[in-house]
Amino acid sequence: MNANFINLQPYSNPHYFVYLMIGLIPIIIGLYWGHRLKIYEVVFSLIFLFLIFDGEKWQQGVSLIIYILFQLLVTYGYLYYRRRKNSPNRTWVFYLAVILAIVPLVLVKVQTAFPQAKIPGVLAFLGISYLTFKTVQVVMEVRDGAIKELNLGTYLRFLLFFPTISSGPIDRYRRFAKECDIVPKRKQYLNDLELATRYLFQGFLYKFVLGWFFGTYWLPRITRAALITGTAVGGLKLSWWVVAYMYCYSMYLFFDFAGYSLFAVSISYFMGIHTPMNFNKPFISQNIKEFWNRWHMTLSFWFRDYIYMRFTFFAMKKKLFKNPVRLSQAAYLLLFLVMGFWHGLTWYYIVYGLFHAFAIIINDCWLRFKKKHKDKLPSNKYTKWLAIFVTFNVVCFSFLIFSGFLSQLWFGWQ
Amino acid sequence: MNNKRRLWHIFGPVLCAFVLLLVIFLMPWERTFSRDAIYQAANSQTNTIFKGSLMKQDAFKDGYVPFYGSSELSRLDPLHPSVIAQKYRRNYRPFLLGGPGSQSLAHFLEMQGTAKQLKGKKAVVIVSPQWFTKKGQNPDAFALYYSPLQACNFLLGIKKDTVTNRYAAKRFLQMPEVKGVIKLGMKRIARGQKLTGFQRFYLENQRRMLTNEDKFFSTFQLRDRIKKINKQAKLLPNRYSVKALDKVASEQAAINTNSNNFGINNRFYKRRLNKRLLAKLKDSQRHFNYTKSVEYSDFELMLHQFAKQHTNVLFIIPPINEKWSNYTGLSQTMYQKAVSKIKYQLASQGFDNVTDLSKRGGEKYFMEDTIHLGWRGWVAVDKAVKPFMAQSDLPRNYNIHNYFYSRKWQKKPYQISLTDENPLNGNSKESLKGK
Amino acid sequence: MDTKKEVLAILQDLTGEDLTEKMDENIFANGLMDSMASVQMLLNLQEKFQIDVPVSEFDRNEWDTPNKIVAKVENLENE
Repeated sequence: MNANFINLQPYSNPHYFVYLMIGLIPIIIGLYWGHRLKIYEVVFSLIFLFLIFDGEKWQQGVSLIIYILFQLLVTYGYLYYRRRKNSPNRTWVFYLAVILAIVPLVLVKVQTAFPQAKIPGVLAFLGISYLTFKTVQVVMEVRDGAIKELNLGTYLRFLLFFPTISSGPIDRYRRFAKECDIVPKRKQYLNDLELATRYLFQGFLYKFVLGWFFGTYWLPRITRAALITGTAVGGLKLSWWVVAYMYCYSMYLFFDFAGYSLFAVSISYFMGIHTPMNFNKPFISQNIKEFWNRWHMTLSFWFRDYIYMRFTFFAMKKKLFKNPVRLSQAAYLLLFLVMGFWHGLTWYYIVYGLFHAFAIIINDCWLRFKKKHKDKLPSNKYTKWLAIFVTFNVVCFSFLIFSGFLSQLWFGWQ
Repeated sequence: MNNKRRLWHIFGPVLCAFVLLLVIFLMPWERTFSRDAIYQAANSQTNTIFKGSLMKQDAFKDGYVPFYGSSELSRLDPLHPSVIAQKYRRNYRPFLLGGPGSQSLAHFLEMQGTAKQLKGKKAVVIVSPQWFTKKGQNPDAFALYYSPLQACNFLLGIKKDTVTNRYAAKRFLQMPEVKGVIKLGMKRIARGQKLTGFQRFYLENQRRMLTNEDKFFSTFQLRDRIKKINKQAKLLPNRYSVKALDKVASEQAAINTNSNNFGINNRFYKRRLNKRLLAKLKDSQRHFNYTKSVEYSDFELMLHQFAKQHTNVLFIIPPINEKWSNYTGLSQTMYQKAVSKIKYQLASQGFDNVTDLSKRGGEKYFMEDTIHLGWRGWVAVDKAVKPFMAQSDLPRNYNIHNYFYSRKWQKKPYQISLTDENPLNGNSKESLKGK
Repeated sequence: MDTKKEVLAILQDLTGEDLTEKMDENIFANGLMDSMASVQMLLNLQEKFQIDVPVSEFDRNEWDTPNKIVAKVENLENE
């Protein structure tokens, strides 16, 4: 392919922001004066999408187009089924629709995990993991009858909303649809602009300054030291460097991803769309449950709403579990296992999922115990800080698993 | 608060910040570096230093001599040129330029920033035949050493269309790391055109910014090896004699290579050559061929640059650890052919300071590991460097031939001697000129 | 049937607390309710009031105080 194409990966370098801001100016002026320049918005979005998937990445672009067409077929097929008069609303049809919506992602994950397998026609593209969340939620809400109309244009704009296409935050269709055609009031939009600007610069600080220090400056040095010391000590190859790696990687992960999410939210706000926030000071959480309400929120809320709650609802209705405590534990296990698999088919992602499932189950036990013995357990600012400390360390340890560094240390591959 | 004031509240600070940033980066700042910082930089071998200009410029004005090379420069044993120069208070200090994967093309680009400072001065080049693989400079390694600042210098320094400029631009265009307006400029140069007015304007401002970046940040992240150099210097005899150095070299090497039969540094052996890798490497280099390579023409770019600067250059051609090449199956005959081709290219253009160590890979303790000079090898290097540095600086003139940019030369099997068929006679029509 | 009373009875059953005095307190923020409890609540409400609340319709922000829940239920009953 011609290598002369300008290819721009989202939020990757300063140039991207310059082009982006230039492109946004007409939208901002339009919204400020009470107009939403829809055609311009579409063209602008398509150009930036094109810039992600052009040049050497053109095959990814083709993959994306095929994927979208396939998902449209699934969603509209199911919508048609549900909207027929006296739709029987069979459960198996619903399952079939969900499975079809997930199949491409599963194939891609398998292909990534086993590159030798070479599944014909399967090629991962940037954002597939996140697109799948969007289509599956629509199928589920169609089943519930919460979505009765699906405007093709709105749906496409929702799926391909370029500020969030590569890594979220994961928006909800009904929320997006309510906003994407209206013009915010000027007062409201000025608030949006203020937040957008703040988020943008907070994102710069997070991703390009702090994230850089943790990820590019310190992490490679620590990695090297940990690997060398590991070889020297033998056995499990553990050393204090691994602990340093754990904290450094956790910080890097947070600042890099939170920075990225801030960019996505910021650009959305400039466009008058209130994409939900992804992080809310996760490291001040006092327990794992709270942590998941503050960390990668759009992902955990998605799992809460579309897996955990649905599963418990279903299981309770069918009375599959006698004991609600067991049910909630099973649901947690399911949720975090799926999340682990979603990250990828390697042992450390799956162990990461299991680790969090057990952490939250233990956490729930503790909370029940605490409720029962409320009067006997002390609760003051010291216990609060202790809780934050413990939670923080448990979380950082889970990120050490997640990082795959242990795999590199022990088995020499990642 | 009315809307206009709110807008100003939101975007005002951003605008101010950008204006300030632009002003800061476009202003002609002055900066001098401390002697310690320059000494650190000279021995740090970091990419920032390699890519930058200012540190090198200051250093070359102050008695530093560039040592162009690659990964052997980081073998800081007690006999390393930097340690010897420090210990015996030589009138020069090496400025180490290059690292793993830096080859002629990266060096040629890197040299753009110091043409003035090296005019009529000296330089040392350790030219490894390993550079001369079929495709020459590895693009991934080039990405590490690629400096947009030096690319601007190259483009803006072009006065007329020459074979050298065209060839260099074409080669740079083959490197994916070369992007943006620089790439557009390279395209024009490769076609023999001049830069457009806009390109010139853009690149000049880009260069101004990059120069400031170089000024502000080049002292960041310096690798401090001064302590190590001083520590190594303590192991050297107080009075210089080749014999005494050789003795220290042998002693040190004996301690440091006792884990294996290859004479390879223990740490290197342990860290870089595990059993599985060793098994894989056995007889793996039989087909290696360094005699046909674009690198010969890339190397010519370096020579051209030296000629332009009238720099007096000492070339050192290192050997390969013979025990190692026997193990990997790399052909010594082929190696010697490549060496003779390099030497021919040098000699025929008037580069007559060449120290050929390529046949000494079998000598005990000559190599630090597989392909890198060390201990007694460094002593041999010093035997050439010492008298070379004792000469007074005299501008040198060379006879550069464009023939060496031709595919014909790249592919020519090898050159036995100068008296053999001389391609420079009667072959000028086939040279690149006018093509 | 008094909707408010019934709802409060269900909530008391789930949280173990009488919320009569805390009609505007956020019961998710103070840890009395979680996803599990809300699913139970939805099921109990369905049973008691014969209303249909799919999980999709459950938006935490619209169900996070006793007063809001009562309003929601009354709304759904009148549908």
